[in-house]
Amino acid sequence: MPYRFGLVLLALSALAVLWHEPARPADQPAKVAAPKNPERIDFAKQVVPILDQYCNRCHSGAKPRGGIALDRYKDDAAALKDLGVWDRVAQRLRAHEMPPAKRPQPKQTEADQITSWVDGILGTTDCVRIKNPGRVTLRRLNRTEYNNTIRDLVGVNFRPADDFPADDVGYGFDNIGDVLSLPPLLLEKYLAAAEKIVTAALDKPETRARILFIKPTDKNKDECARKILERFARRAYRRPLATPEVERLAGFVKLAEAQGDSFEKGIELALEAILTSPHFLFRIERDPRRPKEQLDYQVNEYELATRLSYFLWSTMPDAELFSLAEQGALRKNLVTQVRRMLRDFKAHALVENFAGQWLQLRNLKNVTPDPDLFPKFDEALRAAMLGETERFFESIVAEDRSVLDFLDADFTFLNERLARHYGIVGIKGDQFQRVSLKGGPRGGIVTQASILTITSNPTRTSPVKRGKWILENILGTPPPPPPPGAGELSEDKKVVLSGSLRKRMEQHRANPNCATCHQRMDPLGFGLENFDAVGGWRDRDGEFPIDASGVLPDGKSFQGPTELKAILKGKHEAFCRCLTERLVTYALGRGLEAYDKCALDEITKGAARNGYRFSSLVIEIVKSDPFQKRRGRRGDK
Amino acid sequence: MSKHLRISRRTVLKGFGTAIALPLLEAMNPVVSLAAEAKAAPRRMACIFIPNGANMDGWTPATEGKGFALPASLEPLKPVQHDVLVLSGLTLDKARPHGDGPGDHARSMASFLTGRQARKTQGADIRIGISVDQVAAQQLGSRTRFPSLELGIERGLNSGNCDSGYSCAYSSNISWKAESTPMAKEVNPRLVFERLFGGIVAGEAKASRAKRERFKLSILDFVMEDANNLRGRLGANDQRKLDEYLSAVRELEVRIARAESANTATTAGMPMPAGIPTSYQEHIRLMCDLLVVAFRGDLTRVATFVFANDGSNRSYRFIGVPEGHHDLSHHGGNKDKLAKLVQINRFHIGQLGYLLEKLKGVKEVGGTLLDSCMVVYGSGIGDGNRHNHDELPILLAGKGGGTFKTGRHVRFPKETPLTNLYLTMLDRMGTPTKVFGDSTGQLEGLS
Repeated sequence: MPYRFGLVLLALSALAVLWHEPARPADQPAKVAAPKNPERIDFAKQVVPILDQYCNRCHSGAKPRGGIALDRYKDDAAALKDLGVWDRVAQRLRAHEMPPAKRPQPKQTEADQITSWVDGILGTTDCVRIKNPGRVTLRRLNRTEYNNTIRDLVGVNFRPADDFPADDVGYGFDNIGDVLSLPPLLLEKYLAAAEKIVTAALDKPETRARILFIKPTDKNKDECARKILERFARRAYRRPLATPEVERLAGFVKLAEAQGDSFEKGIELALEAILTSPHFLFRIERDPRRPKEQLDYQVNEYELATRLSYFLWSTMPDAELFSLAEQGALRKNLVTQVRRMLRDFKAHALVENFAGQWLQLRNLKNVTPDPDLFPKFDEALRAAMLGETERFFESIVAEDRSVLDFLDADFTFLNERLARHYGIVGIKGDQFQRVSLKGGPRGGIVTQASILTITSNPTRTSPVKRGKWILENILGTPPPPPPPGAGELSEDKKVVLSGSLRKRMEQHRANPNCATCHQRMDPLGFGLENFDAVGGWRDRDGEFPIDASGVLPDGKSFQGPTELKAILKGKHEAFCRCLTERLVTYALGRGLEAYDKCALDEITKGAARNGYRFSSLVIEIVKSDPFQKRRGRRGDK
Repeated sequence: MSKHLRISRRTVLKGFGTAIALPLLEAMNPVVSLAAEAKAAPRRMACIFIPNGANMDGWTPATEGKGFALPASLEPLKPVQHDVLVLSGLTLDKARPHGDGPGDHARSMASFLTGRQARKTQGADIRIGISVDQVAAQQLGSRTRFPSLELGIERGLNSGNCDSGYSCAYSSNISWKAESTPMAKEVNPRLVFERLFGGIVAGEAKASRAKRERFKLSILDFVMEDANNLRGRLGANDQRKLDEYLSAVRELEVRIARAESANTATTAGMPMPAGIPTSYQEHIRLMCDLLVVAFRGDLTRVATFVFANDGSNRSYRFIGVPEGHHDLSHHGGNKDKLAKLVQINRFHIGQLGYLLEKLKGVKEVGGTLLDSCMVVYGSGIGDGNRHNHDELPILLAGKGGGTFKTGRHVRFPKETPLTNLYLTMLDRMGTPTKVFGDSTGQLEGLS
């Protein structure tokens, strides 16, 4: 996980003292000593010389390469102020991305010395002292959130945002404040959509009655306009309005009347303005007005209601959340509310948006299996594949099951089409039904056709992509990308004729440049080789029998998907950590930082105490500091 | 300097109980009419992006200068060969890692029109630089209804990591309005059509249209004040987002204010597209048709078009290439794969040919629409297998209003920045700038 941050963690400098080794005699040669205890590595003596030798040629001075100057860190205290920099240094070193291949390379022991030191400072993060809830950037509603919000605000469900341009993705999700931008094209769409929405809402008797809930007389027109607009705007802005804000909105009625138009025309204009306002389009969290605003503060109850409802429902808070916020009672009732929200149909948004992106299910609609090789793949099968994984995820949420079921549940949901694809008999009709998988090779998400298909090429399976998918999304240990020109599978006729895909890949792995990472990825993918490029079962690949065995880098060997799943289940802590990181990123709308480590630790521990039930994970997240609080704006570079 | 439309109606809302003032269109400068400009046809710029590099053996002509034989990939350009320059030897240095490690696809797409190094981030602090089309659009935008048009075929990837630690914003946009504001592309031909020709209700009386537009401006005024009032309660990153919003509001205001006097845009007989065609070729061609109609009606003079996002693994089964494009591009020297890459390159060139022929088919003052255009076409990667960013496949089509001598293959010295071409184009567009990205000076030998 890429951590970023440049916050000055002053509190840590005090800690630095702890890592200082006793002073060495002055005459000791300045050579690098071998690390005995990683936490006791002396920065100045054991890290700086290596940096000087291999890094500082570029990373120094006033205009350092990449904006990273390492020569300004002379001792632990200075280095500890920029944990984020060191986290990046360690990542680059580990990935062999730095120093560049053309430059002299540090010995492995030297590189290890630096990474161990970094691990030491990051791993010993003092959770009492480095409290930092982070500060999410203003979030624009993404397309899904806009559609859902309009549905709940106005009662018109015609998905205007489907015509909006795509929202860009960062950290794997499309709800990241920093990444959601607003080009003129989008504002144009907002303005046009507002007009359509208001017209549609005032055309339908029920929605019309809800908006124009009082009838104006000549005498109370102004007051009426204010009441109508205040009621609509507080839901649209997800907070109460100040009096001048209401007055300004009511100005539209005067404007319309001055032009010879009706009262209602004025209301229409004001509603359009509300739907185009930054208060509606962005989730604004205002810093409290107080002098010490660099301090962290709890977001107010309305903001908390908004965070909650967009996390679990991808839409605005409902009446109950609003009313609790109004009474200042939401925090007190947080757990009850989370449970209620997870039971609500709107929690389906978690499936569509969180699972759709975590598992990369959204890519299923773009895959194009070759019709000559996979003649049975059609739109019905594509839809059924998605349906299975969605229903499976939904059942874990709705039945509040352990998230470990994602790895090896003994049930799934099939309709006739998908059951036939899996070779399971006795399932009839288009409706999905719960099906026991006991005794079979399938179970858990990695054996579902959706995942097996999105990790394949159009013409064949890709054990590499499957292995990489597992490392990234299940174990949270993504391999570094291949070095440029890493070489490809041999397509030489002789080699192709002499062996299966597996053989060819093994030859590729003989290349030492590729071996380290492929030793991690490939065996995981090989374990799934019994599933073809669209997730159907097979015993042979062309003329070669399938060999679904694998040996992991730690020496554990397995045979076939069932044993592979058992191995994954054994790594359940890594899985829970990975899922937590994804869910927290999605909940916060920002990338995770080094200082989030403490919160992540607490969340996973809390979930483990409750048997990793889905609701316990969610509850721990919403109770955590990053979700409850925000750093004041002084912390915003 | 272009004549900028001046909006002088900033209405001050005095808070409490004040009515919102109607903006007065009469007080605004009318749009510079076409007649008022020089008689010559306006110059237009289009930038077209193809992913994953090209098989340069099937691309680079064997001889330089005039009368070169078209290599296999460029053959579809036969009918317009005299309108095309093949530019060899150009380099996109900022797509190279420069210490940022892997991520060539994201980088090459992000730097293709910006000539800047993308800041490596998955989200926080996205930064690159303004793109060449937007430099032109900012200066010419006030003369046409739309400062620029962004067209595409694929939306961005909608989940997962796009490329090795780069946010998908880098790997799905080529046009950047500001250093952290990508210009999202429109992929649905119907929506492009509606945008170009919509908003004009047939048979609507002039007065009622004017009033409708004034109401829209009041709404924009109102929300602009909302945004301004938020200042001071937000941090720097929040403020950047709000600035994007404000700049979008301003641009829209100008456009609406101008609509009053704007041309009654002609669709040139083009029917409204039904939506996104299932055929990739038909999809690209519909977008090309829209581009031609927009240039022809002078609705915009600047456009970008992404045939596919970099790293695209689209299958080209309809031309006998079922494998994914990205997978194939890592050909490892395999002859069969290289031949298939030529097929894909050739297919894309065929679509460019379609566009160029269409442009050429439109007569304008002193020539054809193509004559007034400069269409740059290419990729930010040379060979998809090596991920090199020199020896790029780059074409320039159209005479740029008689400023380019086309029909030639020109080779530039090694490491000549691609941005030198952009510097030249900006000059010919009448929107010159001293430096663009890593440019070192205008390209010589194009005119």
